[in-house]
Amino acid sequence: MAEPGEAAFGSRPARRAKVDRIFDHNPDTRSLFLTPIDSRPVRFVPGQFISIAIVLPDETRTRAYTIASRPEDGAPFEICFNRVVNGRGVEWLFQRQVGDALDFIGPFGSFTMERPPDADLVFIADGTAIAPIRPMIHRVMSMPNHRRVNLLYVASKPEHLLYRDEFESYAASTPQFAFDTMIAARTEMHERLLEEVDRRWVKADADRTRQFYVCGVGKGVVAIRDVLRSAGYERRAVHYEQW
Amino acid sequence: MAKLKVIFENGDPERVVEFDPAKAPFHHDGQPGSILDVLLGHKIPLEHACGGNCACTTCHVIVKQGLNDLSEATEQEEDMLDKAPGLTPSSRLGCQAVIEQPDAEITVLVPRYTINQVSESAEDEEASTRDG
Repeated sequence: MAEPGEAAFGSRPARRAKVDRIFDHNPDTRSLFLTPIDSRPVRFVPGQFISIAIVLPDETRTRAYTIASRPEDGAPFEICFNRVVNGRGVEWLFQRQVGDALDFIGPFGSFTMERPPDADLVFIADGTAIAPIRPMIHRVMSMPNHRRVNLLYVASKPEHLLYRDEFESYAASTPQFAFDTMIAARTEMHERLLEEVDRRWVKADADRTRQFYVCGVGKGVVAIRDVLRSAGYERRAVHYEQW
Repeated sequence: MAKLKVIFENGDPERVVEFDPAKAPFHHDGQPGSILDVLLGHKIPLEHACGGNCACTTCHVIVKQGLNDLSEATEQEEDMLDKAPGLTPSSRLGCQAVIEQPDAEITVLVPRYTINQVSESAEDEEASTRDG
């Protein structure tokens, strides 16, 4: 059982969850399935995150982890993360075992999709940044007569393309869902993604009615935002979250 | 030395910090030298649910004095602030607003409510209704 982390959240009351299940997507990427001990559901909107108390020997930090499962799935809910250099938070999470407890608050965040907009949708993600987008896509695909959906997903290795079977299944079942992947080294990932975005949704046609949901690591997200907005897409049609 | 005064709308006592901006970072969350960084480094709490990464609005502050002594808001910060309840023309995100001037005198108000407190209240009401 993990040490309590209530102190990390100031006056805001924390909730405690236990680790129900662990799934390793690959050696560097893991999902934890968490069930609140108080049995109250965690009500969230696709795209939101929780803030977890990371109990380190010298201090307790709070770190945000996006909920990768669907609100409709209920408990346990899933968070997904990967190892990063000097990432003390994720290393702590990698040490959690089934049955361990952790404290969290939330959900938080406004990179969300409650109801799909009445527009063609483009989702762009790299690596674990698919986490907020996955429940958004499930939400869209559960709606009757949804608009066309494009998912452009980039990773540094094929095994880092997460939940691939789910997206391929959607693509196989309807022409309204297009799933495209790219494999690129981390150093050139954003440049290649930017070129692809420019080619597909800026230069290919004059349609500027699409809505974009972009999530990824680093400044590449902001660069995509700028390309799209400067090409004529409305500011509020380009939703993004930079990790 | 720069001076940062914090007023808490929830009635908590005011706090004043004097610091040298050149010595930033003071903590590990938020932009180095940001309001969040300075406050946490001096053991003054300011919510920052996303870890100070400009991904939520829990560190929303309203600048009462010294707005021009802060770094200019980026488009990303402005996009995020659009979603903050109680937005004002002098609103900033504590994790992004960097105190740049060595002799800056900044006063900020920490609003009583964040968007999450609003939603949590709504959730509690819904839960109590469902539970009868």
